[in-house]
Amino acid sequence: MRHWLRHQKHALATALRRLFSQPLVTLFTALAMGVAISLPSALYLMLGNLNRLAGDLPAQPEISLFLSADVSPAQKNLIASRLRQEDIAQARHIPKAQALAALGASQGLADITAGLNDNPLPDAWIVRPRQVTPDALTRLAGELGKLPGVAETQLDSEWTERLQAALAIGRTGVWLLGSLFAIALMAISSNAIRARVLTRRDEIHVSRLIGATHRYIRRPFLYLGALQGLLGGLAAGGVLALAGVMLRAPVAHLSTLYGASFQLLPPSGNEMAIVLAITTATGWLGAWIAVTRTLHQTATPR
Amino acid sequence: MISFNQVTKRYPGGHEALSSISLAIEKGELVFLTGHSGAGKSTLLKLIAAIERPTSGVVSVNGQNISRLSQRAVPYLRRNIGLVFQDHKLLFDRTVIENVVLPLDIAGFDRREALKRARAVIDKVGLLKREKSNPVSLSGGEQQRLCIARALVSRPALLLADEPTGNLDAGYAADIMAMFHDFHQVGTTLVIATHDDRAISALGGRTLHLDHGKITECAA
Repeated sequence: MRHWLRHQKHALATALRRLFSQPLVTLFTALAMGVAISLPSALYLMLGNLNRLAGDLPAQPEISLFLSADVSPAQKNLIASRLRQEDIAQARHIPKAQALAALGASQGLADITAGLNDNPLPDAWIVRPRQVTPDALTRLAGELGKLPGVAETQLDSEWTERLQAALAIGRTGVWLLGSLFAIALMAISSNAIRARVLTRRDEIHVSRLIGATHRYIRRPFLYLGALQGLLGGLAAGGVLALAGVMLRAPVAHLSTLYGASFQLLPPSGNEMAIVLAITTATGWLGAWIAVTRTLHQTATPR
Repeated sequence: MISFNQVTKRYPGGHEALSSISLAIEKGELVFLTGHSGAGKSTLLKLIAAIERPTSGVVSVNGQNISRLSQRAVPYLRRNIGLVFQDHKLLFDRTVIENVVLPLDIAGFDRREALKRARAVIDKVGLLKREKSNPVSLSGGEQQRLCIARALVSRPALLLADEPTGNLDAGYAADIMAMFHDFHQVGTTLVIATHDDRAISALGGRTLHLDHGKITECAA
């Protein structure tokens, strides 16, 4: 055990020395890895933020009922009584005059609405059903649509569902892209370590002649790969932070235009830890591949 | 300690470096390998250290069959063998003492203990004043002594030397041979490949003469 610890300590010290003996190589490798991993990470963060945006919207799906222009008061009462039943959580009536006033006020269309002789908007109900499974929603929307005097029903949750579906595709995309970039990361690390292995050919050769095991030779390079990966992860964090700072003002501007207060969320501590763990692990793996390949190519030292 | 039984080594391309060699070297023996270059001296040493594997026949060292030795076991065999090379194979990115400490690092020695032992062996080869220098700044003879120090630091029972005085002038060569004589006195088994007839006559010991991969002469 003490033997083993001593070897680990020695290997780590050697790795650190080698890392700082070629600072420019280290820097550029870290940057390459950082840029590579920051792409899927950025996509992931973007999706997370979009998801949050979607979550801010009415989570409860709503059904809008638009009444026909020639609806009779009796039909109106019938509709109102139907909407008081058990399966409806909440129903809000929006008379057409109120709708027109809201339209004129909220979207700066006062000129247009003022120029209208008749109110072209229908009376409407916003209905919040108790059951929100897609099946129940469609069934209820269909039933309400058949009531006399109802011109049209609209499931307002449709577009959030579509957004969710799009986000699901996005999430799969993140995994796919993430895996591809992890392979790229491994290749970057492998090449960087291979270059360092080649410059240390003599040392490896001599070490083997005087009784070094493969493990002894591999160890400092594995640490080197892992450290290189860690630096790459930190570089990715830097890239993301920079992007976040640059995007903050435009996003804030856009969200005020929509009358919302939306801010980009930076990666959480856990997410950052995962990115660092992944880059460290791929750095290690790339180093393992590079050194093992070289060791086998030079199986019999001369 | 070392035995060869009908050992043949053929390199890829067909060159036969050793043909059906049989020999035995006892523990504590001093053996010289002579013969012109290309006669197979280096190959014979490489077979003992498992740097090369025999094409046929059995090489055994310390009772271990080298031909059957797994790749994993080779490093542990080598830790018991000191190797001295004609071209020294020193590492020029570190100091004299770091070169000597390397075998002990590999074997997992405590750092302080390793440095102590390295310093003792550097003193023995007369380089103590240069322990912090880079090997590049050493003369050929000093580099060879450093190489010997590295071979001896793990106190191997067997020392293999391939033309240890090949590049040195007579004075240095005599130094080195005197050192080998001392190791022989304390019971180390030595196998030395050399051209240096004066050294052989000065140290005594057995001489194996190789010619075209065959032992042609066995003089005591």
